[in-house]
Amino acid sequence: MKKPGLTFYKSAAIVLIIIFVALQIGSPAIKNPPVTSEIVVPKEVKQILERACYDCHSNEAKVEWFDRIAPASFLVAHDVNEARSRFNFSEWDRNPPAVQELLLWEMVNAIDQQKMPLQRYQLAHPGSKVSASELTVLKQYVNTLPGRHKVDTARIVARSLTNDKFLTQKTPVSLNGIPYSAEYKNWKIISVTDKFDGGSMRIVYGNDVLVKALKNHQLPFPDGSRVVKVVWGKQAEDKDGNVLPGNFQNAQFMIKDSKKYSSTEGWGFAKFDGLDLKPAGKTVLFEQTCANCHRLLAPENDFVFNIPTK
Amino acid sequence: MKSTISLYITALALFVMSCNDRNTADLAPEYLYDAGNEKVIKSIINNKKGTIAMLYGNDIALQTAQDSLLKLSPGAQYTLVTWKQKPMPQWYGTNINAEIYSVEHVNVAHRNVSGLAFDYDFKTGEGFKPGDARPGKDQQIEFITSQRAAVFP
Repeated sequence: MKKPGLTFYKSAAIVLIIIFVALQIGSPAIKNPPVTSEIVVPKEVKQILERACYDCHSNEAKVEWFDRIAPASFLVAHDVNEARSRFNFSEWDRNPPAVQELLLWEMVNAIDQQKMPLQRYQLAHPGSKVSASELTVLKQYVNTLPGRHKVDTARIVARSLTNDKFLTQKTPVSLNGIPYSAEYKNWKIISVTDKFDGGSMRIVYGNDVLVKALKNHQLPFPDGSRVVKVVWGKQAEDKDGNVLPGNFQNAQFMIKDSKKYSSTEGWGFAKFDGLDLKPAGKTVLFEQTCANCHRLLAPENDFVFNIPTK
Repeated sequence: MKSTISLYITALALFVMSCNDRNTADLAPEYLYDAGNEKVIKSIINNKKGTIAMLYGNDIALQTAQDSLLKLSPGAQYTLVTWKQKPMPQWYGTNINAEIYSVEHVNVAHRNVSGLAFDYDFKTGEGFKPGDARPGKDQQIEFITSQRAAVFP
């Protein structure tokens, strides 16, 4: 067989150049839309966010020359679009205040777990790394947010007869088809927590399938596993240091079915708010919001935060 | 230019590799407590002691805790399981139960026609250190039996 001659390499090089040039023509441009409502935080916090997060999570992206070269430009455009869809510091008021707080805690956690800034972004932008002392600044800041010390001082409302009527009439169903069910009340408790952000206390139940898997050190959890987290406000601490549950806030469900819920890491998510158990979310996209945070921060737990781990 | 290209190749390789980067958590089933047939009354946080607890009770105890008069009845059985708190590994901003610190049982019985008697039992768990002080019996009986149930939907 004849060895490929110089002309072969030449034509191969020409083809590659053509592809490269064509890619440049089709390369996406990063546009910076106007800043409508920028986040307001203390100066030292803002500086960190601007340096580490703004290139993707704001409308003030500073795109370097090498970010504009295809195929990298496709990756950069994808990351910026994805980042802005999660949260955008330039359009911060689009989130209700409670969501703003939650996002800030999520950011601190993403940085704490070294999931953010993205490794590939840090590699190309070495200055974006958040140092340990900067993380401390961010942690201190989120601890000053109003939700951190929220106390439930309202009169505790018990389930009324009207609620009972409502419940017997109609079972609340989440937008992704998961119905509320009180069967968790017969399950085992898998954890008890005190959540600072938003000020709540939680009891987390697991069904038999999940508890058996926990006992067998089995991860990921098998299909049929179910977790229900019941959330209350926190009453003021008494003289002995005890904090007791206040009003019922919501119940959160996770149901494992790796096929049915493959787009959300194998878990179906649902949340029912208040004693009338109003399904959370305006569209079915709500489940992606749940999955995004679980996917980012709890992959080693099969995406479940509240399980007993060493 | 060369360095930029190699940078991209490295970045791309890291990106592809990151998809497989998944450690598995070390599960701790020893933190679980099996309360048998007893039902949940409520959870209790104590930041001064660094503990978090679950109060369980049998049907009589739960009924008493749900009633606004909170009138104790013979036959009520309570279990207070207390764990040490620890920061949740996946979420800065939450404390979760760790090792079991203690398990307390209170049974309410008839003493005679005029009053009630209480059986009280305190067991230590893994989290209980030899030097730790045990809580007072009467004080704990009073605390456990006076708890109102958390509101459930």
